[in-house]
Amino acid sequence: MQVDTVRQEPGAALGTAARHDELRRPWRRRLPLLPALVFTVLLTQIPFLMNIWYSLTDWTIVPPSSRRYIGLDNYGDLPNDQFFRDAAWVTVVMTVSAVLASLVLGTLLAVLLDRKFFGRGVARTLLITPFLIMPVVAGLIWKNQMFSGLYGVVNWVTARVGMDSIEFVSRYPLGSIVVVLVWQWTPFMMLIMLAGLQSQPAEVLEAAKVDGASGFGTFRQLTLPHLRPYMELGTLLGTIYLIQVFDHVAVMTGGGPDSTNIPYFVYQRSIGGGWEFGKASAYSIVVVVASIIVATIALRVLSRLLRGEEIA
Amino acid sequence: MTATSHLTWRRRSSRTLCVLAVAALGLAAVACGDDDDDSAEPGGTGEAPSGDGGEITVAIVGNPQMEDISALTPDLFTAETGIEVNYSVLEEGTLREVVTRDIGGGGEQFDVVMIGMYEAPQFGANGWLTDLTPYAEDDDSYQFDDLIPTVRDGLSVEDALYASPFYAESSFLMYRSDVLEAAGITMPDNPTWDEVAEIARAVDSDDMAGICLRGKPGWGDLGASFTTVLNTFGGTWWSANDDGSVGEAQVDQPEFKEALQFYLDLVNGAGEDDAANASYNECLAQYQDGKVAMWYDATVAAGTLEADDSPVKGKNGYVTAPVKETDASGWLWSWALAIPQNSPDPDTAWQYISWATGPDYIKAAGEEVPGGWAAIPPGTRASTYEIPEYQEAAGAFADATLEAMEAAPIDNPGTTPRPGVPGVQYVGIPEFQDVGNRCTEQFSSVIAGRTNIDAALSACQDIASQVGG
Repeated sequence: MQVDTVRQEPGAALGTAARHDELRRPWRRRLPLLPALVFTVLLTQIPFLMNIWYSLTDWTIVPPSSRRYIGLDNYGDLPNDQFFRDAAWVTVVMTVSAVLASLVLGTLLAVLLDRKFFGRGVARTLLITPFLIMPVVAGLIWKNQMFSGLYGVVNWVTARVGMDSIEFVSRYPLGSIVVVLVWQWTPFMMLIMLAGLQSQPAEVLEAAKVDGASGFGTFRQLTLPHLRPYMELGTLLGTIYLIQVFDHVAVMTGGGPDSTNIPYFVYQRSIGGGWEFGKASAYSIVVVVASIIVATIALRVLSRLLRGEEIA
Repeated sequence: MTATSHLTWRRRSSRTLCVLAVAALGLAAVACGDDDDDSAEPGGTGEAPSGDGGEITVAIVGNPQMEDISALTPDLFTAETGIEVNYSVLEEGTLREVVTRDIGGGGEQFDVVMIGMYEAPQFGANGWLTDLTPYAEDDDSYQFDDLIPTVRDGLSVEDALYASPFYAESSFLMYRSDVLEAAGITMPDNPTWDEVAEIARAVDSDDMAGICLRGKPGWGDLGASFTTVLNTFGGTWWSANDDGSVGEAQVDQPEFKEALQFYLDLVNGAGEDDAANASYNECLAQYQDGKVAMWYDATVAAGTLEADDSPVKGKNGYVTAPVKETDASGWLWSWALAIPQNSPDPDTAWQYISWATGPDYIKAAGEEVPGGWAAIPPGTRASTYEIPEYQEAAGAFADATLEAMEAAPIDNPGTTPRPGVPGVQYVGIPEFQDVGNRCTEQFSSVIAGRTNIDAALSACQDIASQVGG
């Protein structure tokens, strides 16, 4: 339809009102973008539609069987599947605790970085580094060099104070994964909070100082409310990403009770050995729906934040 | 004035930071998306073929013996035949995914694929693979009868060979003869699990664990070791119907619990550190470090223990896999080359397989590979064990390995009939991979102390009951 409008363009009579021209100009400008747009839609939406279709079928490739339409049965089975419920619960705990902990730590670091001191640039770069490390690498480093009972740094430290060595990853899989996620995501939260802190009008802080407000009082009554939208943004973006954590689970524990989250469960049910593509598609659709809900809220917050900044 | 400019600076810097954060997010997304399927690309992306005998694409697993053959192929094979070979070296799990997707889904990515003994008969029965028997019988240089019978049986369905073994292993018990001698203990030649458990507890100390057993989740890790114990304890995962299909799940039966209880008690009472995370590599490291006195695992480990740079070289004894109710319990595994049913040129593919898995390659490899004679692909052919150089290099374990290979109870691993195609340390049905993975996660968390055996068994019975019935 859009293409048609554009195609008529050259033939359109020049004499018609200039208003028409006004209307068409945006489309003429967008014309060069259309191929990319169509390409993106094809590339991202068609696989998604196919995924929805698969989720409505009974499709197992090992042993080979024909794909059969079964309506919503895959979704109907979901609430009764104890292993899916466990995975869903792990996903919730993992996401919520990792996001909240990294938000708190990120805010603290941002407050520290917000003051001027010698070497601030270097400190900031070093603090950001964990975020730039590949998830698989981060998982392996923590598992083998930090948590290992035989030669892990954490156990070496606890041994100095006379504690027995603990196999953190085997004993506390969920906690271990959350620690690594917090380590990786704190810098991200810190960057967002730092942006928030630095956009705080200096004169307000100055006025508070003149009025004799204490440092903590200023932070609690002025800075925190100002940071609220930034915290919301950080929480939502973090949630969207952490809800799909896969790499850490795969390399640190390889699944199991207390560490299989929904993305890893989907992998296990499909190419990871289950080969039940119909069911796995249904599981993944559930994650997509949850992510879309979170993402919609995130986009609203983001647009409010940007609008707010323009007005200010 | 200064205040305003300061303000603008702050605002701009905040925007920069925001952009930085979002850019970093994008970077992370790239990093996340990056590790998906890169390694799954076929090797055909190299240069154009130079030989005139055609070109084939081969998917192989990235183990040392396979890396050796891919390095030797241009000199030993392409130079002779003019056939260009493109290798796609994949990690085990990825190979399994790619191959199943490719030949199960009717793709034509590969002319030759490397598959395990678990897949070969199943894929063959599905009609996904070319029957290699006529090729093997017509090819004198291949020496069909030289293949070790148990290995050949494990790769066949109703006497049709679907994959040619490149490498094969069984399992046996390795122990530190010096440690046992110091403790005044003699290892029987064919020990029972009860004897082994007793010895393990006797030599277990603060510095050295009694035995290393796999405890890491995975059907091929904990699942393999445990299933051999389960078999010889008289248990099974599923009963078999008369037609060989899957019957009821048997995880809730007393034999299963007895076997699991024995395994968990042994590994927790006299086993290695961090057992819930230990598989082949971890046990190998601990054994070489002198941290365990015994180790029940793949026969191929002996080659590493007796290598020139091994700290435990010459200090080891090897006996058959421990038993209880059955006569033999060692597992059987092979990496083997197969031709997908839809391969456009099976004759060329066979030429390659015949060379790569034939007796002549093994002899050539002994001279050429960096690791020397001890590093050749073992376990496939009787003639390998008659090569004088190999006997010299592998004297400490060659006989024990051959004995284990020949004794592996491939056709009748337990005390009751098994469903599916033959298998020892697994059940020859496609669902076992998934059931094995998920159940061993439960068992492993018992080893880690996070749950108890009854909860694990009940969860596992639920998982296994989703199959057959």
